[in-house]
Amino acid sequence: MTVVVSGVGVVLPRARSAPELMAPAAPDAPPVEPKDLVGRKGLRYKDRATQLAYCAADAALRHAGLLDDGGGLRVPGRSVAVVASSNYGNLDTICRAIDTIAEHTAAAGSAMDLPNASSNVIASSVAIRFGLRGPNLMLCNGATSGLDAVHWAATLIRGGRVPRALVLGVEPDNASVRAFTGGARTIDGAAALVVESEESAAERGASAPAVLGDYVRGAGLGRCLERLAAATGDRPALWQLPEQWQLPEQRTAAVPDTLLAGVARHDLGEVFGLGSGALGVLQCAAAVGWFARGGAGPVYATAGTDADDASAGIALRGRAAA
Amino acid sequence: MSWAVTGMGAVAALGGDVGELFGNLCAGRSGVAELRGFDHARHTARHAYEVDNRPAPGVDVPGRATGLLLDAVGQAVRDAGLDGSDLSGVPVLVGTGLRELRSVELWRTEGAGFPAARLHFGTALREAFRADDTHTLSNACSAGLYALALGVDLLAQGTDTVVVAGVDVLTETMYGLLERVQPVPPTRVRPFDRDRDGVLMGEGAAAVVLSRAPGGRPVHGLVRDVAVNCDAFHVTAPDPAGIAEAIREAHTRGGVKPADIDLLMVHGTGTLLNDEAEATALADVFGPDRDKPLVTATKSMTGHTSGASGLLNLVVTLRCLAEGRVPPTVGLDHPVDEAAGFRFVTGEAAHRPLTVAQLNAFGFGGINAVAILEAAR
Repeated sequence: MTVVVSGVGVVLPRARSAPELMAPAAPDAPPVEPKDLVGRKGLRYKDRATQLAYCAADAALRHAGLLDDGGGLRVPGRSVAVVASSNYGNLDTICRAIDTIAEHTAAAGSAMDLPNASSNVIASSVAIRFGLRGPNLMLCNGATSGLDAVHWAATLIRGGRVPRALVLGVEPDNASVRAFTGGARTIDGAAALVVESEESAAERGASAPAVLGDYVRGAGLGRCLERLAAATGDRPALWQLPEQWQLPEQRTAAVPDTLLAGVARHDLGEVFGLGSGALGVLQCAAAVGWFARGGAGPVYATAGTDADDASAGIALRGRAAA
Repeated sequence: MSWAVTGMGAVAALGGDVGELFGNLCAGRSGVAELRGFDHARHTARHAYEVDNRPAPGVDVPGRATGLLLDAVGQAVRDAGLDGSDLSGVPVLVGTGLRELRSVELWRTEGAGFPAARLHFGTALREAFRADDTHTLSNACSAGLYALALGVDLLAQGTDTVVVAGVDVLTETMYGLLERVQPVPPTRVRPFDRDRDGVLMGEGAAAVVLSRAPGGRPVHGLVRDVAVNCDAFHVTAPDPAGIAEAIREAHTRGGVKPADIDLLMVHGTGTLLNDEAEATALADVFGPDRDKPLVTATKSMTGHTSGASGLLNLVVTLRCLAEGRVPPTVGLDHPVDEAAGFRFVTGEAAHRPLTVAQLNAFGFGGINAVAILEAAR
């Protein structure tokens, strides 16, 4: 079964669309303000990660033609899965709540923090906001988490559980995350994809700018690239680089020059900040942006270096080239 | 199509392996004890179902969830006869509600060293088993069965062997925030009882190995299929309609009718909302057949082990099917009205030949997972 990308949403300070991921705005762009994008309604008591996810979800669902003018879903709620990815999404809630308990006892805690103490609050909150009643997954899987989320969305579709899925990658920037990661500045934004079986996209008359190819995950970035090459039978025209997510200042040493020598490289983390759990989703969105700007040939999206527990990769092709 | 379980492992308050856990459950023993992990001065609740492996009372250390997970996975892998020194290429799916967030709390409050790369379990699984196709799925209290659903999908799409695990330990934030919504701190979990006070957290891990072709290996039981959905209703409150839909889908996928179910292993957290919603959904789906299956809820003895609970119940249910023995629901004296007509096992273990079981798990955010299991015969 062919699985396509039929919608993209990008909500970053320096990029508000897939093509802008390849041509970002100035570095002094202001932070994303969710209430300006999706209105104030429903944002109260939601953590920053969930608010950012709402914005990206709204953009991707609209881009895919799945929302009507009033924001209602045009397809049955049961037909849409949600697969979200974030490593640091609810770290701020955990840190604030444990600080309160340590300083003032549990009696001083806020019951409104309870849902946010569960790491799946991003995926479930998005489902509730948009009425998405299909399978609902939250991946917190380290460096490769975003690409893994895309993989699980495709697996749910290929397994016949749903015809389409909303994939979200989000990482918030806040003092807790910076302290925990040793000072890293995350993207403080989100990206979303609608992935769909080719058949159901065609039935809806939806355009699909990219085709999802093979997914690989295993030890070693070099081996991961070899497996992608074997699966696609081709060399990529563009390589989305992994980031060394724990220590951004060491990022350059993580990807040897000998790998895919001569292939154009694109390092999203260098431009937008630590992508972490959102990286893979951002990479797929950037691939769609690259195709939209006239890029041809396969794009390899990869995450996880040899310093991580594993590397993952997905090959994408522009629709015209598929 | 159904999938063979060729390896099982478990650790919980009630036992360090599947046999010990199942024996204690059938004997009606509870793992509840006075809270060990946190400073009592910070909490009004006093009880939990913890694994007693901390260095000293009140002294907590980072990485305990990872430790329990590696224990359970190691047991399951050995039981299945796999080479535990090299699981490279074998998908290992880990369902968890709270991942290593307890370690984050200890980093925050006590300055404990805890690298970001250990927030998910892949790093430790790689070190212990050379596993490199690992997935940490943080799906609240249905995480274990959600992971099982993904494992089943991989097998159906051609993968030969999948390891599925679930794990959780107490976090102080979840323990403390539950105090804010449960005015009377419970002293034990009493699923479906009219006089229940709410939920208490438990700790544990469980793992299974699923095989497409078990060959000559002993088979503990079969997983027919798993249904997963989302209520899209409320961030903490369950919706009986969404639960009923998941149960019906599980029956369809598993090729069974309500009258075929011999054993209902319910989610049964002992909270006011869950037990009413679950009983309402079950009554809706089972209708006049509600008196057919035996029903039990192990959280009365293990506490709510969150992301581990679905898989702990999976290994327990497979033992029930294999032995024809069902643990009682301890503390269930007067069932809620919504559960009227269901045959809860109370008092002592029930003995009866069993073939098909249904296993429920529901999580915050209305994420529902329902599995259909079958005895290996």
